[in-house]
Amino acid sequence: MTKLTHSFSLSLVAAGLLASTAANAESFAIINATVHTSTEQGVLNGASIVFDDGKITAINPAKVEADNIVDAQGQIVTAGFIGSMNQLGLVEVGAVAGSRDAGDDKAGIDFDPSLAFNPRSSLIPYARKGGITRDVVTPHGGDSIFAGLATVVDLSGEFDSVKQTQAALVVYLGEQRKGSRAMSLKSLIEKLSEHQQKSTKKDKKDDAKPSTEDKVLTQVLAGEMPLLVTASRASDIIELIKVKEQFSLNLVISGAQDAVVVKEQLANAQVPVIMSAMDNLPGSFDSLHAHLTNAGELEKAGVKVLLAIAGDGSHNVYQLRFDAGNAVSYGMTQEGALKAITANVADVFGINAGRIAVGKAADLVMWNDDPFELNSHVTKMFINGVEVSTESRHDKLRDRYLTESNMPRAYTK
Amino acid sequence: MMQKFAPSLLVVALGVALAGCQDNGPQDEKVTINKNPYPSTYTPLKSTSTLITNATVLTGTGERLEEADVLLVDGKVQQVGKDLSASADVTIDAQGKWVTPGLIDVHSHLGAYPNPSVESHQDGNEMTSPNTAEVWVEHSVWPQDPGFNRAREGGITSLQILPGSANLFGGRGVTLKNVPAHTMQGMKFPDAPYGLKMACGENPKRVYGRKGILPMTRMGNMAGYRTAWIGAAEYKREWDKYEADYAAGKNPEVPHRDIKYDTLRGVLEGEVMIHNHCYKAEEMAMMIDLSKEFGYHAGTFHHGIEAYKIADLLAENGSCAALWPDWWGFKMEAYDMVQENVAIVDAVKNSCAVVHSDSDTTIQRLNQEAGKVMFRANDNGFNISEAHAIKWITVNAAKSLGIDDKTGSLEAGKQGDVVIWNQNPFSVYAKAEQVFVDGAKVYDREDTAFQAQSDFMLGQK
Repeated sequence: MTKLTHSFSLSLVAAGLLASTAANAESFAIINATVHTSTEQGVLNGASIVFDDGKITAINPAKVEADNIVDAQGQIVTAGFIGSMNQLGLVEVGAVAGSRDAGDDKAGIDFDPSLAFNPRSSLIPYARKGGITRDVVTPHGGDSIFAGLATVVDLSGEFDSVKQTQAALVVYLGEQRKGSRAMSLKSLIEKLSEHQQKSTKKDKKDDAKPSTEDKVLTQVLAGEMPLLVTASRASDIIELIKVKEQFSLNLVISGAQDAVVVKEQLANAQVPVIMSAMDNLPGSFDSLHAHLTNAGELEKAGVKVLLAIAGDGSHNVYQLRFDAGNAVSYGMTQEGALKAITANVADVFGINAGRIAVGKAADLVMWNDDPFELNSHVTKMFINGVEVSTESRHDKLRDRYLTESNMPRAYTK
Repeated sequence: MMQKFAPSLLVVALGVALAGCQDNGPQDEKVTINKNPYPSTYTPLKSTSTLITNATVLTGTGERLEEADVLLVDGKVQQVGKDLSASADVTIDAQGKWVTPGLIDVHSHLGAYPNPSVESHQDGNEMTSPNTAEVWVEHSVWPQDPGFNRAREGGITSLQILPGSANLFGGRGVTLKNVPAHTMQGMKFPDAPYGLKMACGENPKRVYGRKGILPMTRMGNMAGYRTAWIGAAEYKREWDKYEADYAAGKNPEVPHRDIKYDTLRGVLEGEVMIHNHCYKAEEMAMMIDLSKEFGYHAGTFHHGIEAYKIADLLAENGSCAALWPDWWGFKMEAYDMVQENVAIVDAVKNSCAVVHSDSDTTIQRLNQEAGKVMFRANDNGFNISEAHAIKWITVNAAKSLGIDDKTGSLEAGKQGDVVIWNQNPFSVYAKAEQVFVDGAKVYDREDTAFQAQSDFMLGQK
């Protein structure tokens, strides 16, 4: 095997790779693949991808050399899909309180649920059935508008799955069950102003160790950490764009049911949008313009679109590819829809994956047919260059009840 | 089904009180319970005869016809086959397109939990008592729910609206034709039997147990059903006796009227069909025994996440199972999901597998929901065709609702409920292009004149 010789700083990504090198001892090459790169290269036919030590090391090299060679026989290979806006690994059963760790009444800016991430959750292998290799896990939060910090995980199921903590600060704005949305927005603006003033005034001498909250806000105000705000109504989005401009934020809007109404403003302000392609009902007065064509319209307007699963995205993230297919059906480009579940998610959250390009994580999925179609399935899958299975306990249950036996089912394992 | 106007019970009751209890003649006017007090006023939209030609037709009877025609006359399917010689007022060239029966969702809350889902619209579940068999969900239906229009755009032509699942007995469901109307009666499916929503498992015991009243446990659930059926049997006996005595020329005292028991009695008499929210294998097995204990049919099991564990038992009992392809994990009783559930239930002889939505979102793509099942099952050793899978969302659904003599398949004499798809409906890229209900076009993707809009959405900016 090739030793990790790069001397990059010990980021969490690096730590993750170090921890998984044992399982990642051999290099691989996939040959004869129809590679959907999620890059400007578009689709490469009859292409080969070489990966080693968790990273893609070559695409279409003159000579393919690797410990293992997989002949795709023309099958489609995509970058692994990246889910977001769900609580994968932080919930096993929605209604079982003890299995839920994505929220807490006291949650706020410094709430980091990555400490509770469970890579052995049964949801993870199930999600892999949908070609999901990575996920941006987002907290529910609690009483505050600040829900906490997003975490990037891989879906290897290994104990080193957490790849990136503090990937975004999550905020819930828009309609309120009690009180006014104006007050929520005011709290956000005030929090940012206070911190900005505090840091400019700061006298180095009495500089106590900054709290997590201070560090997070400093990064948010430096535009280094995305501020991920849930909002739907067009007027709320306009107000948020003003806040972005006032503080030079890296603003991302999720939900965004009515974003289409202000698509030019979003495009001009370069605000990415995380949305469900399937949202097309006026769930509230904030989402009167939800429509199946919105993802395509936003794409056309030049907005960076990320697709996520509405509702229980944790158990259903595997369906992301079908949402992408429906988005295409209603006007998104095939390439745009693929990016909306790969490259765009990687870009927004600073994930070194989501594209089939040299240097990117070897999260690769092979499909027997169009990955957005109902009839296709994963035929092979790699996360960080390691082959993973898509089998979950659901398959075990199916097989148990389809296997003839003259003993009670409990003996069929 | 139409009943003669029944004299108000109040007047009759007063009359009885004044006359005292006289068991023998002269007879007071007979009290008859009006079984249809909110009758359907649905009339099909205006239609012309329509000939759909050259399509791939999935008939709903298990057949797939290539290059086939479907003729709709007077609101009914008149002929289905190749090269029909018939002429019609309108001919639609459906070359390259697919035609199926209108889709039917047996489990919807549209209108009762409508969009916008604001506080004022939470009309789907009377969560004030574990037995609210007295409520009828049709009294909650808001016909302006924009969800009806979205569902129609997905090919849904009939649907059953059910009350929620917090109660052991949640109340009556109602089957609707998915046509735009500004009254519930204007959508009500003529002569469709009523349904009664029952619920097993976690929901009733959680909602009422929390209040410190029965049921707090699954055994409490069973006790609650049994107590109710004992009451219903007694009620039925009283009314049967009244009717028999009256017929024998006596002047019997009019039994006390209880609309809760009217519904349960309807079940015991085979007029009201059970629709039972029930996830788990052992609970469905007990609900079947419960139905035998009290002499009614256990009906359709909805959401049966574990139906695959008792597929043979369901078929043997003649029970349909209305299931999701992949919805799971939101509570403990939904943990043992398998993506092939519908296919496993379906594979047994005399089965009745149905794909349902219980969702204002997936009701718009019931074709894709069925497709997911078909393809996952075929990935794992099944060999299910489109012609077969379409039954899960058409004729089997109609059977579950007791309307399979009227709709659910493209057979001569059935209602002209038809969808023209731009391609194989089991594709993620499939779209309903034109939808017909009783022979009348109710949706056209290319023609805004056939795209209904709810009052609520009109003029919104």
